[in-house]
Order: sequence, then C-alpha cells, then structure tokens
Amino acid sequence: MAYCSHLMVNPDMNMFLAMILGGLIGMILMTIMMLLLMPFCGAFEVMIPLHINGMLIGMSAAMLSTLPSISTHLITSGGALAGLMVSVSVYFSNKHLTQS
Amino acid sequence: MKSKKQSYDKVAQSFDFLRAGDMRRWESHQKTLFQNLTGKVLYVGTGTGLETVNFPAGLNVTAIDLSRQMLEKSRERVANYSGKMHLCQMDAEITGFRDDTFDTVLTVCVLCSVRHPVPCLKELKRVLKPEGKLVLFEHVLSKNPFYAIALKTMSNLTERLEGTFLDRDTLSNAEKAGFKILSHKNVYLDIVKAVTARSA
Repeated sequence: MAYCSHLMVNPDMNMFLAMILGGLIGMILMTIMMLLLMPFCGAFEVMIPLHINGMLIGMSAAMLSTLPSISTHLITSGGALAGLMVSVSVYFSNKHLTQS
Repeated sequence: MKSKKQSYDKVAQSFDFLRAGDMRRWESHQKTLFQNLTGKVLYVGTGTGLETVNFPAGLNVTAIDLSRQMLEKSRERVANYSGKMHLCQMDAEITGFRDDTFDTVLTVCVLCSVRHPVPCLKELKRVLKPEGKLVLFEHVLSKNPFYAIALKTMSNLTERLEGTFLDRDTLSNAEKAGFKILSHKNVYLDIVKAVTARSA
C-alpha cells in the first residue's frame, strides 16, 4: 500500500493533495483486498484492519513521498511496520473485547 | 436504486461463497446462542439457510426471507435439518402472522438490511409471545472511534451496493421497539454481537 502510494504520487505535488490521493489509493487497494480475502477470513475480520491500514498508510506514505529526503525503502518499510502494528492492535483489541 | 428483493435475488448465487469466512468464524458462537431457541421459532432472514447447521435438533421453525432465490437455495439445508422447518417468502417488516404466535424470534444479520429497523423490531415483538425471547446475531456500529470511522465509510459503499448498513445501533433500536436486553456478548470486537432480549 505504501509502495503503491509512493509510486503514484509525484514528489513535486502539494503535500495536502498527496495526502488526499494517498488516502484514495489506500481505500481502493483496501476494497480490492477485502473482496479477495473476505470469503476466507470473514468480512469484519478483514474490513477493520484493512480499512485503518488503507487510510493511515496510504495517506502517510503519500505525504512522505513529497519529501525529497525520504527514500522508497524507508516509506515501504515504514508502511509494513505500521500495517503490522495496526493488525496486532486490532488482534489484541478483539481479544480484550470478546473476553470481557 | 434496486429493490431489496432484486438485490438479494441477484446475490443468492454467490452468497454462500461470500459468507464462508464468517460462517467458519461464527460457528461456535452461533451454536451457543442458538441454545436459546425453544418452542415455536421464527427465523427471520433465512437467506440460503447457512445457519441451520448450527441449530439445535428438533425445533419447530418457520423460516422467512424476502428473496425467492435465497429461499430456493436454502431448500436443501432446510430438508436436511433434523426438526420441523418450513419456508415462507415474507417481508420482516410486515409479516403475515397473528399476534403472539412465536416463542422465539431469531435474526442473523437482518437488522442491518431492513429499511426501518425499529418498526421491523416492533413487528417481531407483535408476533412474539409476551414471555417469548428475541435472539439476535447482528453486527452493529462500534463504540471505538477508529472502528466506527471504518464502518461508517464502508457503510456508504455497502448501502449503495447491497442495501446493508454497517452503522446501526441495533441494541438501542431493540430497546426503542420495547425489548429489554437480557444478555449480549461480543463475537468480533464490539461489532458482531450475540444478543438475547425479551419484551420489556
């Protein structure tokens, strides 16, 4: 998601516009992945983490892509790390809510 | 916009495939919740009858759905059920049953799809006996703002595509319709819930 946003955003673009575009790219990718994963993992189980990841990572990666000092590698790794953190947070949130 | 009936008729062929993941995850929760089904049961929004495999044996069930295609797809599962079950094509908001007919009313992911949830619940209350039980397995809007944003955004899409609302407060709606919540358990986050209620 971060890599796709980075590829689509022009480094000369205004940061705010890049953020909007990144959010849109994240949402589109999220919807495609959701449709692919939903029959196997459950609708809500994929919707919630993917949606948060799509918005958060798409927007952040696109904004960072407008900064010349940030490399593609850093954006992609940052996106992967953020994605992992969101997924783990949702997992533990689910454990907490379903056991309470 | 397509009518609900048309939209469910259309989705009937792919319904089992789309819900396969949910059914695997929800099986044990549904089996536990469905232990509350007793006496004469109204199963609202049968769909393709996916949940019938989680029903306890020997119930007397009247299963209703708006879509003829869904009901057709459910016939094999209904025939395999080890109890009495008969199908009716009917709108959950205006059922044709007399007052105080059923001991238990069950809905599974129905109150997210009906046009008017509170009038629909009032209709279910009408057909439920005064000492009867309402059993709900439904998804609702999360109280967590991060999850709520995701649900509200996705709801804009699902409302247009298939008429499903992801941002309903079904527990409050049940109370507005005159039910008292007896128990509710989170099945996934605070979004998918197993609920029992009775007339207040």
